Amino acid sequence: MSIDTSEFLIRARLDGETLELWVEEEWLIPSDAGCGRNFSEADLARALLIHDLTRDLGVNDEGVGVILHLLDQVHALRKVLAHTMDATARNAVR
Amino acid sequence: MSDPYKVLEIERSATADAVRKAYRRLAKKLHPDLNPGNKDSEALFKEVSNAYDLLSDAEKRRQFDAGEIDASGAAPPRGPFYKDFAGAGDHAYENHSAFTDFAGAEDIFNELFRRQSGHSRNTRGRNQTYRLAIEFLEAINGAVKRVTLPDGGVLDVAIPPGFQAGQLLRLRGKGEASVGDGEAGDALVEISVNPHPYFVRQGDDIHIELPITLSEAVLGARIRAPTPTGVVMLTVPKGSNTGAVLRMKGRGVPRQDGHGDELIKLKVVLPQVADAALEAFLGAWAPSPDCDPRRDMQ
Repeated sequence: MSIDTSEFLIRARLDGETLELWVEEEWLIPSDAGCGRNFSEADLARALLIHDLTRDLGVNDEGVGVILHLLDQVHALRKVLAHTMDATARNAVR
Repeated sequence: MSDPYKVLEIERSATADAVRKAYRRLAKKLHPDLNPGNKDSEALFKEVSNAYDLLSDAEKRRQFDAGEIDASGAAPPRGPFYKDFAGAGDHAYENHSAFTDFAGAEDIFNELFRRQSGHSRNTRGRNQTYRLAIEFLEAINGAVKRVTLPDGGVLDVAIPPGFQAGQLLRLRGKGEASVGDGEAGDALVEISVNPHPYFVRQGDDIHIELPITLSEAVLGARIRAPTPTGVVMLTVPKGSNTGAVLRMKGRGVPRQDGHGDELIKLKVVLPQVADAALEAFLGAWAPSPDCDPRRDMQ
């Protein structure tokens, strides 16, 4: 399910200017198939995370970029670790 | 619902600023997106959020302190959390830079992701099913048919003589290749047989209705009769009537111990156009009074 920009602004409780900033910083990477931006539910959840970081947790803008970068690596590592454990378990069963 | 002061680990006299600090301290530890692998963090974070929602609103806090409302005041629901999406599928945010320094990392990850898609190295390739319609005589006599595969390749399918409609031909190893080192799958060819204009198959026998002329029927004759393997000479006995069946041994469908038979049902056919000579002849001819073809119907 893709979300267009206007719906995304409402659901993410964002204004257009902030969105531009976040996209420019690559905190959000909407897909763009040539007919305007499209956001996913993952983008939306990510926007809510950025709100939590900045509003509730007192993280400043520089900190948001650092956290997202580390989080993205954590998720990739978790995924690889899950695959590795899965493969190890399969080999152990044989 | 727990006491929000206890949840935030603060005194009842805590200032608004102290409430916010307490929440921040806990939220940093418990935010589900900062604890992607911790199953408990979401529930704990929710509890902390609810407590903060209640105590950070001066009016709600006053009502709670006065005992007018309890701690279960409806806080806005939290989430969705990004961690719930981050693990799923490929997306733009996935960042593999954390292990590019591992020797051979790329090969290992390719291998891991390939396995994850359900194939182990030795899994056979999948079977592929094709449909093929063949002509009646090709099924009886056998044939080699060429099937064009979706990838542009061709597959020669040998139809054995005596092929039964509905049989499935299995071509071992002609299906999809294995992703790893396993054998290729099989090609399964579903074969249907088109009907023939005058041959009909029943088991191993071939049935045919063969038209003959009146004189061939009355006088007998040597006529040419079609069989699946070509024309053969057939003797029509004198006085053969419509419906008489002649059996030609071994002219039917090939089978392991020889062939079935061809059964020829004769059908007397009069000339299509009026034949003056025949009319003149029959006008002068009277059948025997004993001959009444409708006697049994009286």
